[in-house]
Amino acid sequence: MSGSSNSGAPAPSQRAIYRATIERIFNHNADTRSLFLRLADGADLTFIPGQFISLELPIGGERIIRPYSIASDPEDGQPIEICLNLVPGGVGSAYLFSLVVGDSVSFTGPFGRFTLDRAPALETVFIAETTAIAPIRPMIRRALANGHAPITLHHAAPTVDALLYRVEFEAIGARDPRFAFEPLIATPDLSGVELLQLIRNRYINADQNRSRQFYICGVGKIVFDLRDLLRGAGYERRAVQYERW
Amino acid sequence: MAKLRIIYESGEPERVIEFDPAKAPFSHDGQPGSILDIMLANHVHLEHACGGNCACTTCHVVVKSGMNKLSQSEEAEDDLLDKAPGLTPTSRLGCQAVVEDNDAEIVIVVPRFTINQVSEQH
Repeated sequence: MSGSSNSGAPAPSQRAIYRATIERIFNHNADTRSLFLRLADGADLTFIPGQFISLELPIGGERIIRPYSIASDPEDGQPIEICLNLVPGGVGSAYLFSLVVGDSVSFTGPFGRFTLDRAPALETVFIAETTAIAPIRPMIRRALANGHAPITLHHAAPTVDALLYRVEFEAIGARDPRFAFEPLIATPDLSGVELLQLIRNRYINADQNRSRQFYICGVGKIVFDLRDLLRGAGYERRAVQYERW
Repeated sequence: MAKLRIIYESGEPERVIEFDPAKAPFSHDGQPGSILDIMLANHVHLEHACGGNCACTTCHVVVKSGMNKLSQSEEAEDDLLDKAPGLTPTSRLGCQAVVEDNDAEIVIVVPRFTINQVSEQH
């Protein structure tokens, strides 16, 4: 999750608010980075692959909420990793990009129903666009942890640099025959069209098998287009899970 | 003027908001003119962990009256509500339910401890 929200209203949330310190920063490319967060006071955070946290950012005298998917694995413990890109004109991402190692952030969570809690029994296809790979990454590890079903990842991005975690996925694919990593370098203005065409050819036109399940994460209309394409082709509604940013 | 009456399952005092749907958006979050948008603009809190982007169920409310004065739910909202324990036939996500009638009188209940909240607080 990497959406936006700006709430000037009072926030009498009764949820636990965590404080964390930025332990490390990793720049994936010029405008995408990961923040590694360690909770204060020895606190722990239990989450399911795919969930997100809601950062509460003090900007301009307001409390601005910014949700970010957790890109690290629950089994790895802390620090937890969130991944974000610098959004032109986005006050939240600009604020987060201004932070340095040692700075603190506050957040609530984890939240979200776009999750994969246990290894799937069916062939599973993950589809992600650019930074929307964040929630998918721990899902794949969970899916491979003790399952037997084949797993395919289609990660679409405009450049090789934007294929976050590419080396990691290539390594998994090289050692684990259950996992296929299929990146798609998509033409920026045509990324939706190309992705739709790929999915249509591979999972609709190629065979009559409709027992696969899908996890889709991306930005904007393409997510709904993929959902409708797959459900319209005969895949069960609950077999097509998605999160739109 | 339309009216939104908010009842809290927790027993907190009810709130009543009067507003003109034609003047939406009122705040920053959720669909313009949505229950969430209206509440936040009037400094009445409603959880919205995903920022009102239809990606969680923390703004789940139960509509007691005026369901037909709200926008129809779309597939993305229905898909999320499907996963929300405590679902009722008149459940909506506050960020997606838009008040569409200038004279609407909507009554909602904000659940106190939904299973949803518990399971999302791992």
